[in-house]
Amino acid sequence: MAKHVTDLTFKEEVINSDIPVLVDFWATWCGPCKMLAPVIEEVSKNLEGQVKVVKIDVDENPQVAGSYGISSIPTMILFKDGAPVGKMVGFRPADQIESAIKGALGL
Amino acid sequence: MYDIAIIGKGPAGISAAINAFARNKSVILFGSDSKKVILSPSIPNYPGLPDIKGVDFAKRLEDHLSSTNVETSSKKVNAIYSMGNYFSIQAEKDVYEAETVILATGVDFKKSIEGEDSFLGMGVSYCATCDAPLYKGKITTVIGYNEESYKEADFLSEICTKVYFVPVFKMEYNFNSNVEIINDTPLRFEGSMKADRLVMKNSEILADGFFVIKDSYPVSSLVPGLEVDGPHVVVNRSMETNIKGLYAAGDITGRPYQIAKAVGEGQIAVLSACDYLDKKASQ
Repeated sequence: MAKHVTDLTFKEEVINSDIPVLVDFWATWCGPCKMLAPVIEEVSKNLEGQVKVVKIDVDENPQVAGSYGISSIPTMILFKDGAPVGKMVGFRPADQIESAIKGALGL
Repeated sequence: MYDIAIIGKGPAGISAAINAFARNKSVILFGSDSKKVILSPSIPNYPGLPDIKGVDFAKRLEDHLSSTNVETSSKKVNAIYSMGNYFSIQAEKDVYEAETVILATGVDFKKSIEGEDSFLGMGVSYCATCDAPLYKGKITTVIGYNEESYKEADFLSEICTKVYFVPVFKMEYNFNSNVEIINDTPLRFEGSMKADRLVMKNSEILADGFFVIKDSYPVSSLVPGLEVDGPHVVVNRSMETNIKGLYAAGDITGRPYQIAKAVGEGQIAVLSACDYLDKKASQ
């Protein structure tokens, strides 16, 4: 299950993570975000141990959303060693998300 | 769950539907009659029906379709999501599910505003209801091509400090006081990391976000993740797209824009979809 992070836990869970982290920026009012939720779970399962997958509600956590310039949701950002290394805006099928992550990380 | 959902009711879509019926699949067909066919004064090159009028050809397509048990819907399809093993189809306020999808929506010759595609998701959005809350207390611009855009501008004005409205489609409407109507022709979006400026023929607008509200969107935003080449969908000889279980047929796959080509592609697409379904069922 993709863990929910907040403005308060973002540093510990994402920036200081030992392994790369895919962050799904979402909100309850966003239809495409709802469609992406099960897809994100599948990605999380398929990449278990290699990539951590977390979700952040942009409504309740405006600080993180603001600092990464989220202007449309869903947006997925891949973090490695605390820095963003890739960004995807909008819904994507699971296999495309996985191959983009693998490409960005050289897996 | 339908076996096949066909998006588009032109010659390609109807050809796909007739062939799906022959293969005993459950089908839903979305769309309304093809304006391009109806407006053709005569069709000189459709084999076997020399010089048939567009309206007559459309009537024959309709009669043939109604001799099948294919379910039809005139709802507008807003988005198609690939969920892995099936597709979730959002048509107005309803959601449909199908194992395969055939895209046969034709081509849209209306030009986008320059930079619309490249700034999409970076300051440019097609969905005010989706992204409006991100612009709380900020300045937005709506470029409106239809009636719905007036309501979207009003909706935005309730959360934004200021909304500029650039009407491309005109009607009488009473806006909230913080909506400013700008009558000018949009040319291009500009910005570095994200769009922050709309350049028009005679003036410019600076805003935090831009919403383009129109009837038909580029096919890549209808199906997120779909591989396209300009206005066309990339397909192979089996009419397969880059998304498993999703096929395309007709004008949407590229030139020539002809009825006979569309009908042939619709048939190939649906037979490919049937093979895919049969393989899946036998696994």
